[in-house]
Amino acid sequence: MKILIADDSRVMRQIVIRTLRQAGHGGHDIVEAENGRQALEMVQTEAPDLVLSDWNMPEMNGIDCLSALRAAGSQVAFGFVTSEGSEEMRERAASAGAAFLIAKPFTPEAFDDALRSVI
Amino acid sequence: MSAVLPEAEAPESADLLAVTEDVWMALLGDDGVLLPRAVPPGSPFDATAWSAATTISGGWHGVVTVELDEVLARRLTTRMLALPAEEEASDSDVADAVGELVNMVGGNVKSLMPGPSVLSLPAVAAGRAAFSSDSALACRLDLVWQDAPVRVSVHVPQEGPR
Repeated sequence: MKILIADDSRVMRQIVIRTLRQAGHGGHDIVEAENGRQALEMVQTEAPDLVLSDWNMPEMNGIDCLSALRAAGSQVAFGFVTSEGSEEMRERAASAGAAFLIAKPFTPEAFDDALRSVI
Repeated sequence: MSAVLPEAEAPESADLLAVTEDVWMALLGDDGVLLPRAVPPGSPFDATAWSAATTISGGWHGVVTVELDEVLARRLTTRMLALPAEEEASDSDVADAVGELVNMVGGNVKSLMPGPSVLSLPAVAAGRAAFSSDSALACRLDLVWQDAPVRVSVHVPQEGPR
């Protein structure tokens, strides 16, 4: 399985990769994007099976990236990893077609639960 | 120094502490224990610092700021990036890590307050935070992690004529 991690923070991308490993999902291929626009392009060029995306990013945020993907016909599994875990944000994410939203700070268990829903 | 506002207009100190402790524990595990630090009201942050701020605007307006001791900021960055002990974090890595820290605290504060609101991208600086004269301190935590000071504060727009 190939996972695209989109986050403008290199530190957070590293933490997400480490947490995937701690959650027992360390065997996947990982590719990284620094913002939503890059993620949008990389879904085409890298054909990931899952996108794990931050919400707030420069250039293009996560929700706009997801909307653009769905508008273009992509049905790639998409989950948010964001500091904003309110019910309102979860509803917006689900309405746009996200499979899950993992709120920061997170645990390996939260990643395992979320990934099991799409694997 | 501006006055502290009524609690209804700001997150409770206990909630801000719970959010901050959750972030620290998630990033640092059992080493993430924060202790309270006695600081007189109105005191500026008394350390060589890194600071980061994020703005919440919409259903509620406020600025969440984290100020960290320099040594602490580098130690935290090393831990967040899982760098080898002998490898020192670069300034850009520290800026990234401190920005992510305030993003996590700010995002969780946003979830506690009336919405819908928008959380800004973090603004990070090497140095103490400066606050606008038209904002009022609403809530402040002074803490210690591994003998080094941390301050988390929430400012809101000041009421009345400017």
